[in-house]
Amino acid sequence: MIRVEGLSRKFGRFDALRGLSFDVPPGSAFALIGANGAGKTTTIKILMNILEPTRGSATLLGVDSRKISPRELRQIGYVSENQDMPSRLTVEEYVAYLRPFYPTWDRDLEASIARQLRLPLERKIGDLSHGMRMKMALMCALPYRPKLLILDEPFSGLDPLVRDEFMEGLLEQAGEMTILISSHELGEIDGVATHVAFLDEGQLLFQESMSDLTGRFREVHVTLEIEAARPAEVPKEWIEMRALGNVLTFVDTRFDENGLSERIRARIEGVRGIDAEPMTLRSIFTTLARAARDGRT
Amino acid sequence: MVWHIFKKDWKLAWVFVLVVSLVHWIAAAIVHKLGLFGEDPMLGMLAEAVPMLALFGSMFLIGAIVHLDTIPGVRQDWLVRPIARRDLVLEKLLFVVLMVNGPIFAEVLLQGLANGFSFRLSLVAAAWEVGFLFFAFTLPLFSFASVTQNMTQAFILGCGCAFLILVFDTIASYLNARAYGTLEPIPWSGVGWVGETSRFVLVVAAAITILGLQYFRRKTLVSRFLVVLFGFMILATQFLPWKPAFAIEQRLSMKPNAGKDAVVAFDSALGKFPSPSGLRASSEQGRRYYAGEHSSVYLPLEVAGIHTDAFLLTDRVEVRFIGMDGKTAYHGIGERLEFADEGPNKSSYQEIQVPTSVYRDIKDQPLRAQVDYSWTLFGLEASYSIRALGGDERMPGFGWCETKMNEAETVVELHCMQPGKGPTCATLFLENKATGQRNPARSSCHSDYSPYSGWYIGDNMAHFGANIPFRDSSGLAKFPVDGPQLPQSRVVIRAYQPENHFTRSLTIPEIRLRDWEAQ
Repeated sequence: MIRVEGLSRKFGRFDALRGLSFDVPPGSAFALIGANGAGKTTTIKILMNILEPTRGSATLLGVDSRKISPRELRQIGYVSENQDMPSRLTVEEYVAYLRPFYPTWDRDLEASIARQLRLPLERKIGDLSHGMRMKMALMCALPYRPKLLILDEPFSGLDPLVRDEFMEGLLEQAGEMTILISSHELGEIDGVATHVAFLDEGQLLFQESMSDLTGRFREVHVTLEIEAARPAEVPKEWIEMRALGNVLTFVDTRFDENGLSERIRARIEGVRGIDAEPMTLRSIFTTLARAARDGRT
Repeated sequence: MVWHIFKKDWKLAWVFVLVVSLVHWIAAAIVHKLGLFGEDPMLGMLAEAVPMLALFGSMFLIGAIVHLDTIPGVRQDWLVRPIARRDLVLEKLLFVVLMVNGPIFAEVLLQGLANGFSFRLSLVAAAWEVGFLFFAFTLPLFSFASVTQNMTQAFILGCGCAFLILVFDTIASYLNARAYGTLEPIPWSGVGWVGETSRFVLVVAAAITILGLQYFRRKTLVSRFLVVLFGFMILATQFLPWKPAFAIEQRLSMKPNAGKDAVVAFDSALGKFPSPSGLRASSEQGRRYYAGEHSSVYLPLEVAGIHTDAFLLTDRVEVRFIGMDGKTAYHGIGERLEFADEGPNKSSYQEIQVPTSVYRDIKDQPLRAQVDYSWTLFGLEASYSIRALGGDERMPGFGWCETKMNEAETVVELHCMQPGKGPTCATLFLENKATGQRNPARSSCHSDYSPYSGWYIGDNMAHFGANIPFRDSSGLAKFPVDGPQLPQSRVVIRAYQPENHFTRSLTIPEIRLRDWEAQ
């Protein structure tokens, strides 16, 4: 659905993106995660042909992003936290303005989304709160049943109630839609994303399916008979190793339930017990972010 | 989808459109109310200010329309909608044409009709006005607005451009003064329209290029660079050389052979120029392209080969004084001459103002004088007459005119208007119909040979006229047709049309400038 190859973008001397490559499979909910300034919005703006890449290419729906025409845009929904809509029009007027541009616009669906999101149709866009504007942007992106929905930091600045309403509205209509969602808040995409890509300073650190990711990360606690100390040699997939009392803790980024005990005992003496706990996405993200900062991935 | 986007813009901008249109129509009403003589000072002041206000309003309206769907930036919702760029640019063009130029078209048309001109004449004037306005004002502003994100940015960029224009003009004026007025020959001359047309071509080329880049490729940085580049090219048109511009004018002559017999000769037998009493022989006044003092020499000339009822106007006189060693001692321009007297031969003096510092060095030297004339021969087109006092005539081809006596009771004031460009040259005199006596004719000519009329401030009316004296308040001069005869007198207007543009050169093998100072 989306293919990004060697994408680079410079702003003056600043490299916002550095050779980014990833694939978004059809039907997936692909989360592009990274800290603020990691390059998520730049990537999305390039995908939508709002910005041009300095090098590399991006393809959506089989078309180079630089050649996206109204034909492709009729199949793409876009919601961004920074979306300027005509503030002096009412919600209803703007929706009415958009309708004719989309031959597949479903007015019943539009009415249902408006009801579900409890949007004040008669109010001017300029008078809407940030949360309401985001909901309105979602409402303007769904009634034509896009094949691809791109959400750029959709939850930024939303209170939990609005966020839930937004997510409900989104998930209810998602269907076969491919979703690309960017966020720096892991909690927001937990339970939504099927795939995830992690961006850091314009570079892709990894891309994989959510099940693979959560499956291969474990926080391992090794209880020792004596006071714990960091072993002289540890595999590179064991990161964030720390010792506290007689417990040695680390994150195994290549978790394999069968071989773990053997691998630990081969390197550490006096092992009394091993406990491997699944990690939340947030923990995985922060672990990777710290590792990236320290030069280890 | 053009009409669909149009309706959205109308919803957003209709108040602004109505306000600006209203200001235009108020301006038109004020100018109409002012009438031909414009005697009400308050209305006169408003007639200056309100059209300017309307023009600024139109400028901001164009910006506002373009900024409804801004091109630069990354946040606009329309960028992610299936809106064809072609539809968007066409809609914006249609909107500015209908909502900015439309009310002005109505204003000029109604003004023409309100002033009693025919529907056809008023319609043609309105069409010219709007056409000119579109190319000279709307299109460039439209493309300019498309490289900005909002009104603040447009204002700042506009101020930056105005500053660059000011700097360029200051440097150009300085260089022109250093070159004794030879560097900028075209502006304010009869062939000024050649420069104006080149500016139009550049403006249209710039606007189309920038609009294409902006609406189809969103290359704002490149477009902004082009704004500056084309801006400098447009400014540089004021340095267009005279000869090619006048050659174009020559090719457009209505009667190419009308001036074929015209000759100019140095006529030393005429003697020195008799300076009018009270004037200094060697003037030390400044001239617009000179900084500092100058001295005048007057070369006696005889012009022959001009048929009766013709009027010869000098468009440009280029003068070179060359030393015996072949080096140019002075290169400048001479004063313009008119030959309107009837009869086969016409004598006159060619005034040449030379900077005093140069003059001191060369006045006693033997010099060769090379004088190159660019002339326009006007032929009599039509004669009209109007009562000298309280006249109110509509003269087809000339315009609507009224006459009245001035407060000092020294001149008859003739004020006229005509939709479009108006006449460029006329001679006028007072004639007592009963006795047949007439006062000396006065000419009222300005060289403007543009094949089109263009105006974009106020109405599209040419306002023109003349003061025709009948009494000298000092009592020195006596006019055959004086005050008491005015009720039986008429102002006779002889309108001339340019027939032929041609050049003549005069070479005087050896002269000393000192010999040709005024007496």
